[in-house]
Amino acid sequence: MGVTCVSQMPVAEGKSVQQTVELLTRKLEMLGAEKQGTFCVDCETYHTAASTLGSQGQAGKLMYVMHNSEYPLSCFALFENGPCLIADTNFDVLMVKLKGFFQSAKASKIETRGTRYQYCDFLVKVGTVTMGPSARGISVEVEYGPCVIASDCWSLLLEFLQSFLGSHTPGAPAVFGNRHDAVYGPADTMVQYMELFNKIRKQQQVPVAGIR
Amino acid sequence: MADVLSVGVNLEAFAQAISAIQALRSSVSRVFDCLKDGMRNKETLEGREKAFIAHFQDNLQSVNRDLNELERLSNLVGKPSENHPLHNSGLLSLDPVQDKTPLYSQLLQAYKWSNKLQYHAGLASGLLNQQSLKRSANQMGVSAKRRPKAQPTTLVLPPQYVDDVISRIDRMFPEMSIHLSRPNGTSAMLLVTLGKVLKVIVVMRSLFIDRTIVKGYNENVYTEDGKLDIWSKSNYQVFQKVTDHATTALLHYQLPQMPDVVVRSFMTWLRSYIKLFQAPCQRCGKFLQDGLPPTWRDFRTLEAFHDTCRQ
Ligand SMILES: [Zn+2]
Repeated sequence: MGVTCVSQMPVAEGKSVQQTVELLTRKLEMLGAEKQGTFCVDCETYHTAASTLGSQGQAGKLMYVMHNSEYPLSCFALFENGPCLIADTNFDVLMVKLKGFFQSAKASKIETRGTRYQYCDFLVKVGTVTMGPSARGISVEVEYGPCVIASDCWSLLLEFLQSFLGSHTPGAPAVFGNRHDAVYGPADTMVQYMELFNKIRKQQQVPVAGIR
Repeated sequence: MADVLSVGVNLEAFAQAISAIQALRSSVSRVFDCLKDGMRNKETLEGREKAFIAHFQDNLQSVNRDLNELERLSNLVGKPSENHPLHNSGLLSLDPVQDKTPLYSQLLQAYKWSNKLQYHAGLASGLLNQQSLKRSANQMGVSAKRRPKAQPTTLVLPPQYVDDVISRIDRMFPEMSIHLSRPNGTSAMLLVTLGKVLKVIVVMRSLFIDRTIVKGYNENVYTEDGKLDIWSKSNYQVFQKVTDHATTALLHYQLPQMPDVVVRSFMTWLRSYIKLFQAPCQRCGKFLQDGLPPTWRDFRTLEAFHDTCRQ
């Protein structure tokens, strides 16, 4: 895999999530990108169970268990700012067994689904982020396959993002800064999705009407 | 009838010879008829045999007679002369029905055309030899034909020398690592890893570079049985483009007498791809054009350009 940038695209003024996604994908198709199937990234939140918390009153850490259709045989378990574990999909069964230590937060499941587009060596995934029944936002993932060092190709990636996101082009993802010369890996993408989902969760107070 | 005379055929004898052939054929078939019919009914067995033998003898004699006649005539017919410029094909001109079978004129046309082709091919070969793209020094001009087929000295360098040249280049460029292997006898194969940007498979023949394939840093360069995969191309368009340019570079850097300089120049040029994703185009100032970064590196200045932005 190559260097990947995950960002949120705000819903256009006076448009619905669906309409904004369509606008974006039409722009990509105009650019010459070709549809290549679909994708899905999901994330479930787990609390550290109350019974295991020490008497010092330390706050329970949140753990995120995620899947990515790009890696159908893997399961990702992440802590915020913490390590990322890449495991087989059997990990989901293990989590059920660990109920005494980690409890899944109610209605915490958040996911993004959409279409994959290929443009030259770029892979673009535009997805609708949903929590439960409602659409909460739009995710845009751009992967540049040939390059493995984030800092090497950020300028190039930025130029590409600008070509179809215009003024909504994001800044460099935080994970790019952490790992100066290291080879970019799938876990880095999952961390970006986790951060994006957390950001969107915080925006969830906005009533449905605000999303239109 | 001047044409006929020049062909040298005695027509009268020819006609006679044809009828002689016909006579011969019918006498031969009479022989077989007689054999087929066998002995006809006669009163006595003796009578039957006698009549059959007499009949058979008669038939054989007539075959003999006809054959002698044909032989005599065939001497009279004479041979078609061989001094016609197109040899036997010249006889096609005798065909009176030109409209239906224009073979002869077509033949002449084809002959002229092939003559011209040979002439032009000769000219082209002369010109191309002056600007040879072949990188070995052993084929200059026509005079080389006469020389005994000697291997050019640059092709028979000892492997130790090749190893030395390569390891010196390896030490010259810290961001470039070169791994040399000889999976197929004496010819070396190099796996060049340039930073964390790309990998290049270089197939050598002595110190000449025969082939290069550029792939991504994260792409597999080995086949299933663990050998260097020298045939499959990169999955990424950017490296396919760089592979094309590297092949062009092989033709550009040539100095048949100093192959080590050629390898060093090529590697120096290749090293400029360390900034493949970081260098904007020196002409248009952009990173991307049709989704590709500047994949061309100038042979002298090593500056980055898009394929379509270079002069
Ligand atoms: Zn350019």
